[in-house]
Amino acid sequence: MGAKTGRAISAAQPLQGLKLPSHVWRHTGERLLIYVLLVLVALMALLPLMWAFAASFTPNARVFDYAFPFSLRALFPVEFTLEAYDAIFARGFGDALKNSFWLSGVTVVLGGTINALAGFAFARFEFRGKRILFLTVILLPFLVPVDLTAIPRFILVNSLDWRNTWQALIVPGLGNSLAIFLFRQFFEEIPQDLIDAARVDGASWLRLFFNVVLPLSRPVLITAALFLFLQQWDAYFWPLLVAPRPELRLVQVAISTAVEEHRTRWNEQLAGSMLAAIVPILLLLPFQRYYIQAVTSSGLKD
Amino acid sequence: MTGRERFMPYVFLLPALALIVIFNLFPTIATLIESLHGNSLVRGGRVFVGLGNFNRVLNDPIFWKSMQVTGLFSVLVNTIQVVLALGLALLANSRVRGITVFRSIYLLPVAVSINVTTVVWGLMLNSEGGLINGMLSLVGIERQPFLIAPTHALWSIIVLATWKGVPLWTLFFLAGLQGIPQTVLEAARIDGAGRWQCFRFVTLPLLRGVLLFVLVADTVANFLLFAPVLLLTKGGPQLSTNLVMYETYRRGFVYGDLGVSSAMLSLMLLLVFAVIGVQFTLLRRRT
Repeated sequence: MGAKTGRAISAAQPLQGLKLPSHVWRHTGERLLIYVLLVLVALMALLPLMWAFAASFTPNARVFDYAFPFSLRALFPVEFTLEAYDAIFARGFGDALKNSFWLSGVTVVLGGTINALAGFAFARFEFRGKRILFLTVILLPFLVPVDLTAIPRFILVNSLDWRNTWQALIVPGLGNSLAIFLFRQFFEEIPQDLIDAARVDGASWLRLFFNVVLPLSRPVLITAALFLFLQQWDAYFWPLLVAPRPELRLVQVAISTAVEEHRTRWNEQLAGSMLAAIVPILLLLPFQRYYIQAVTSSGLKD
Repeated sequence: MTGRERFMPYVFLLPALALIVIFNLFPTIATLIESLHGNSLVRGGRVFVGLGNFNRVLNDPIFWKSMQVTGLFSVLVNTIQVVLALGLALLANSRVRGITVFRSIYLLPVAVSINVTTVVWGLMLNSEGGLINGMLSLVGIERQPFLIAPTHALWSIIVLATWKGVPLWTLFFLAGLQGIPQTVLEAARIDGAGRWQCFRFVTLPLLRGVLLFVLVADTVANFLLFAPVLLLTKGGPQLSTNLVMYETYRRGFVYGDLGVSSAMLSLMLLLVFAVIGVQFTLLRRRT
């Protein structure tokens, strides 16, 4: 698609460039400038990760060796070692990774399902109270950041005797207004004919939902899944409050605890950070085009 | 729809909506109610204290200082992030070879949590031998006390929050840009519009919806910034990074004063709504 439209633009360009003696040169210069900018921004995005990655494989005493004064050697491990990784795994970082995987996975499956169902109801059904429900249950919670209301939620979870349990970590994070909103916008675009056809064939609404609608909705499913995954993978404030028990320790809490308790073991802090970062990065990159599709279909344009 | 069919919508809605009502809506209302209660020293337990907590909060110079810090922080960080995200989206929307590789790289910080960002940038901003000081030294700038001077600390937090925050908003702007039909831009160009005019009078108005969404969502997200303050500065030096979110945590969970903490959170809640309201009216009216 990019190539086609690119040709369309350059076809229009001579009209604009008539005044200039050599618009060809201008064009090349412009392209060069774009590449310089692209590379500079890419370096800004990459540099912190590259340094942290290299430093996590470096003996602790030498972490800052090439950082100050800066030389490019800072982007490669000085004396490659796995001591930092060995140390954090010995302190139970592997369990934290496993816990976060489990929590995020369960949330993606359960949360993905119930939010998709709700999104479908808002997109495809007419019912009493639709508008008011949409405003109070979707829009309002979206505008109220969850951490702002953590205290009563904490008291509620305590009164359910859920402190230090998986339920306390999983259940409050399942219903998600943004996910419902994304699903609703996507489901509105599904042609009515498809739904009618399935209905005529006698499919129940639930069957229609799982067998017809969901298979058509890959971009929004992937986007919502990633979103729910990140929400739990990145969770910090809430687990800190409700699940301080070491057996339930999650990855962000483990990293932060390491910073508080081992302030000068820099390479270990960075090793934990790199492991915590690599998982979502690997999930994010292969599906890039779907997010743009899902966001575009969310109708934010108007 | 008759009989059983009539209940179908509610069957679809029930699981998600019930959870949102219990774990999101109820706590929002409860925050407001909790802010009217305090610990009773005489009887133990919670008693109604009316606006007593608000009275204490509003007469507390530390709270006002942290409101000031939060206000300054919000204005700076949201402006910087939205402008950079829009600029970056325009850049990432250029039709040049290899652009998808650059887009993937730009997206990376989305996958990096704020805690990881805090750890990595915290070490890079180290005032002794951090990477940033190392780079500055190459161009002859002396070591900067990034996280330990009241003049620098808030800016350091803005920088790391921006590194993490901008890519997500860039993604939204990029999606918005790709939704603009090429024909519209070409028509403007043929009518003699220059690059800036195209952007100002064609692209920007068509991005209004995305802009509003990004502005609101970014504002809400930044009001909540907590981990960098907890891990790097503890609100200091001299309260220069004592964002309200951290102050409510300190009051509520470190000192156990849930009433005052809830009162602060209620005020934050009202503030969030006020700011969003202003953003809505401004952007709706502008075009």
